[in-house]
Amino acid sequence: MPGEEASEEKDKSIQHTAALSFGFICLIIGIPLWWKTTEVYRVNLPYSDIADLWNTKFQFTIDIDVVNLEKSWTDKDLTDLSKLLKANLADDRKVGAIFPKYRVAVRQAAEKQSSDVTSLKTLAALDEYFHGEESSVNKYLIVLMPVNNAVVKQTTIGNYRAVYLPAGKRDLKTVSSEVTEILHSVLVREDALLKSFQNFLGAREPKDKASMRSLSYHQGYDILFTLVNPQPDILDIDWSIKEAVEAYLSPMVKQLSDYINLDIKSQMLFFTGLRRKPHKDKKNSGFYYEETDLPHTINPLEANLGSHASNNPMLNFIVYVPSRDQHPLHIVLKNGEKVKTNSFLSPQWGGIVVQNLPSPPPNSSLPVRVTVDMKTVMEVFLTQLRLLMDFNIQVKKDLQVREVGNDVIREWELDNWLRKKCLENLATSISTLQSLTALLEGISNIVIQDDIGQQVENAVTGIKEAHRHLSSGQIARAFTQSRKALASSEKAFFDPSLLELLYFPEDQKFAIYIPLFLPIGLPILGSLFKAIKWIKTKRKQKPKTE
Amino acid sequence: TSPEEFFKSGHTNNWAVLVDTSRFWFNYRHVANVLSIYRSCKRLGIPDSRIILMVADDMACNPRNPRPATVFNNANNQINVYGDDVEVDYRGYEVTVENFIRVLTGRLPPSTPRSKRLLSDEHSNVLVYMTGHGGDGFLKFQDAEEISNVELADAFEQMWQKRRYHEVFFMIDTCQAESMFQKFYSPNILAVASSKVGEDSLSHHVDPSIGVYVIDRYTYYALEFLETVTPGSKKTMGQFLEVCPKYQCISTVAKRTDLFRRDVNKVLLTDFFGSVRNVELLPDSIHLQNATLHTHSEDSSDVKSDKPLSYAQQFPMPV
Repeated sequence: MPGEEASEEKDKSIQHTAALSFGFICLIIGIPLWWKTTEVYRVNLPYSDIADLWNTKFQFTIDIDVVNLEKSWTDKDLTDLSKLLKANLADDRKVGAIFPKYRVAVRQAAEKQSSDVTSLKTLAALDEYFHGEESSVNKYLIVLMPVNNAVVKQTTIGNYRAVYLPAGKRDLKTVSSEVTEILHSVLVREDALLKSFQNFLGAREPKDKASMRSLSYHQGYDILFTLVNPQPDILDIDWSIKEAVEAYLSPMVKQLSDYINLDIKSQMLFFTGLRRKPHKDKKNSGFYYEETDLPHTINPLEANLGSHASNNPMLNFIVYVPSRDQHPLHIVLKNGEKVKTNSFLSPQWGGIVVQNLPSPPPNSSLPVRVTVDMKTVMEVFLTQLRLLMDFNIQVKKDLQVREVGNDVIREWELDNWLRKKCLENLATSISTLQSLTALLEGISNIVIQDDIGQQVENAVTGIKEAHRHLSSGQIARAFTQSRKALASSEKAFFDPSLLELLYFPEDQKFAIYIPLFLPIGLPILGSLFKAIKWIKTKRKQKPKTE
Repeated sequence: TSPEEFFKSGHTNNWAVLVDTSRFWFNYRHVANVLSIYRSCKRLGIPDSRIILMVADDMACNPRNPRPATVFNNANNQINVYGDDVEVDYRGYEVTVENFIRVLTGRLPPSTPRSKRLLSDEHSNVLVYMTGHGGDGFLKFQDAEEISNVELADAFEQMWQKRRYHEVFFMIDTCQAESMFQKFYSPNILAVASSKVGEDSLSHHVDPSIGVYVIDRYTYYALEFLETVTPGSKKTMGQFLEVCPKYQCISTVAKRTDLFRRDVNKVLLTDFFGSVRNVELLPDSIHLQNATLHTHSEDSSDVKSDKPLSYAQQFPMPV
């Protein structure tokens, strides 16, 4: 009957319209909604910036000023010298991941300077004169001394930023090559910088003694001075460590306060000693340790030194006063000669100095009060500190360097340290960011919070700023920026939240979704197909009926 | 070896991470295993500040222990491996897979104390010893969770990326232990396991007075070897890897040397188990000028407070 057919048609069309609308909602609204609500929250990181940083070549700029006091050299000589120097410094040095740029200026000294210099009688006075006049960070002064100058007989490097070259009898070529040599091996040391930069970037070359000895840069170091007295009932030892640190170490700590925090503590240990038995010296009455005995003396002592609360690396400096049955105690070289300082250091750990204090005379009331000579002790400790903190620079025998005295660190050594640590920090930050991005791209299941994104952004900005400052020659600012970049990149990498989501692993996602979606999905898909087939048949019918 | 050769080995300090993963009284032997290795490391020179000791259960103070505060690894010898100077860093329920991975990778919360952190650097040789119940590709922690060999390999790779080790010696004494190091892919790792995949590691002997096994075979024979080592010893890792042949251990000891760059027969045992220091003599020092040492008078700025001190209220009582 046509009425029934029409109402059946109507029912069918309602059914199929309903099925189509369900299908529509599921596909167009449901699937995107599900996708959005189950995605892992990951902040956008500057992946391309980090990849660019990996390939950046860092340029660092150094200013050289050459001042001529030698009267016989004319302006033309100086122009030639300037050309030679520039050519020497710009030549075959390959452009590696880091490369130097030198800004050279050569000039004649003013009349006043020449006359002032002739009146100065000591190297110290000379150094002070040029320090006051012309010194500034990262700018090195090469002073060409006149031939008759009494003070400077040989090429000498001062304690600030001046180098004194007796230029008188030499020709331009030798002077220019000598200056280049000093720059490459002492003041700037590009090869060492490149090697350590590549090492921190991930190269893992075999290490040399100097790089294994010194601590890598941290935001601060803890320094602990210990006096070890195995027999406090016999010797009551007075060491005015507080005053000695104040007098000899504080200037250096203050000088470095902008760059690194040094936290200094001291303690005394009683009734403990170096447990290894020393050899008895048959010739004189005494005892000695050879170099091969020393490695085993540190461990039993270290167990008693006590641990500390901060996460910074610790440097231990120990004064050991031998017990009376091992007195006097010396450290000897392989050939039997006594070591002058009677001390040794252990790389990345600290140093020990043996102080032989006089035994109490017979029939004296025990304990006898004795005093440690803090000057000799601090001399040894400061030398060891210079080595352990990477300030010390080996200079060839034919160059003279002025004795550093109470300043402890020469200004050009500080410049070297700032430059080296800045580049090392940059390399470490870049490789940390690189491995962080590799980790995050590799495992898509890790949530990246906002603060990690912020830290990474800070690190990238810090590195770029440091590069900018390095190219313009401001190493102190570059160092501060690199320090911030290092702190940010380490904070981002070691954030405790960066653990893979353990409850939603990739291979088990299907097992979670199937029981939820399959029971509903099958009927909806089935009715969708039926509806589409019905529409097709309707379309075929329509032309027929038309 | 002369001091010049020390610098060739490339490491300046030693760390040890010793993990026991089993709980319950009948797993007494795992606690004895890890404490025995701990004793050997300490005797050979690694200080407590550089050992991370994770013990999942407390056998010394267990109510079933007839000799309280002691743990023995031998029914006859009676060496108390617990002693009175043991420092356990992660105890009881703190020994979890998450904490272990966090220790290795360094991703600990900022409030973690220094003694619970692995502060190794690129010059550190790290000894990692694990013992407990294991299977093909996993190690059971605390009877509730497992660490898989893939996760462990990833953790070592994270350490390598962040330059947290120079060389690692990985020792594992569980059933099917070889599977745990099969997935390693980071360089400079030397690994030894007490049994191959498909084999069980067996325990050594039972102490009739407590009724549980007190030590495992591989660790027993490894300790026998380590007892002959002194801090200055020249024994090599090659010799250590040959310890416990099949007639003694019954299971086959498996090792993995392909990731390790040096020849194991030239590597000293004390490179991993002990802590031999490099030293450098100081031939000369800088010269200081005599500075006057000012004695400090009592700081008058420290005003002594007149208020008497008192204890805080422990239980806030309603007034």
